[in-house]
Amino acid sequence: MPSLARYIRGIRAVGIKEWWHQMQYIGDVKAGTFVGSDQFGNRYFENLNPEQEVPGRHRWVDFAQHDNNASQVPAEWHAWLSHIRKEPPPQDVLMQNLTPRWKAPWVENLTGTRGAYRSYNTANPKIEPWQPKVAPRGTPLT
Amino acid sequence: MVTMSSTINMAFARRVPLGLSTRLLLSPTISTQSLSLVALRHVSTSRRTLQAQPTHDHSHNSNNHIKVGTDIYSASAEPDNYVNPYAGGPSALEKAAHLFFFTEIARGMWLVLEQFFRPPYTIMYPYEKGPLSPRFRGEHALRRYPSGEERCIACKLCEAICPAQAITIESEARQDGSRRTTKYDIDMTKCIYCGFCQEACPVDAIVETQNQEFSTETREELLYNKEKLLAIGDRAEAEIAANLHADHVYR
Repeated sequence: MPSLARYIRGIRAVGIKEWWHQMQYIGDVKAGTFVGSDQFGNRYFENLNPEQEVPGRHRWVDFAQHDNNASQVPAEWHAWLSHIRKEPPPQDVLMQNLTPRWKAPWVENLTGTRGAYRSYNTANPKIEPWQPKVAPRGTPLT
Repeated sequence: MVTMSSTINMAFARRVPLGLSTRLLLSPTISTQSLSLVALRHVSTSRRTLQAQPTHDHSHNSNNHIKVGTDIYSASAEPDNYVNPYAGGPSALEKAAHLFFFTEIARGMWLVLEQFFRPPYTIMYPYEKGPLSPRFRGEHALRRYPSGEERCIACKLCEAICPAQAITIESEARQDGSRRTTKYDIDMTKCIYCGFCQEACPVDAIVETQNQEFSTETREELLYNKEKLLAIGDRAEAEIAANLHADHVYR
């Protein structure tokens, strides 16, 4: 429930520096419990008090990068942030047990950069171009 | 229409402590409990009710239970049992007054005015997200077994069932004799995200992950091949497996 009293209460809770940081990014003062951070330094918060946060806005992320986008959230935290999983990944035993050894590092959506994906053919081509083969001179024709 | 408008009127009178509501009453059957709530709750603090709330004052419906039998009863056959279905409801004059004075329009506009004083329900998207289902169908991925072996056995059922014909598969036998795909292309611009491919898959190889943030700048980047799909599966396997596990009791 946004109100001026909640705003001032939020500034008192998070402090001036964090208030300024939040106003630059999320555009609101949100005070909550720190749930965890991922390998990129994104911090995740939660506030389940419906008097302080509108239900549905009770989980949020504070990105580590200035140029942030939603694909910087790795898959495990994405499941928590999208309210798919109840527990955050450090406490989610099921998701930890289902994490394979060969799990690849998370990469964000690299479109528009030099690392962008370019499609290519993974199968052998059906049609081979004609390769001219020149028989060496002087050999007799059989 | 009468019951619907009275339901709106009930909800209206429960929320709005103004004289307008008492003037617009269709039926004088508002319980005192709801009137006592009016004094306690404020418009800006009360929640939006997105579904109709059940009303228990259908007095004109309670006394005309028509038993469904083999015979057809009419009022003329049983003049003693006839009940007026309109008894207790609004009179024709009241209905005509509401019809000709456009009171429903005023009630609707008042509801709009109430929303103006309610807190906004805006989710700041990249920082906060709306809820997703574990069955959400987003970007595709090819999964592997826990041993690291790729699951897809090139049965081409997903290619057959794909209504948009977005999947192209070519397969060859590997050197150890097992048949695997050499080409597994999904044209994500053709895909309609119906989820038939993951339902058709006998080995849970092709799945649709919960990732929806894969928009690209060029069309070419959306032509996924096998390497890309496997890479998506490799980095999101924990979330995919957890979602499949969360949903496995319903499959």
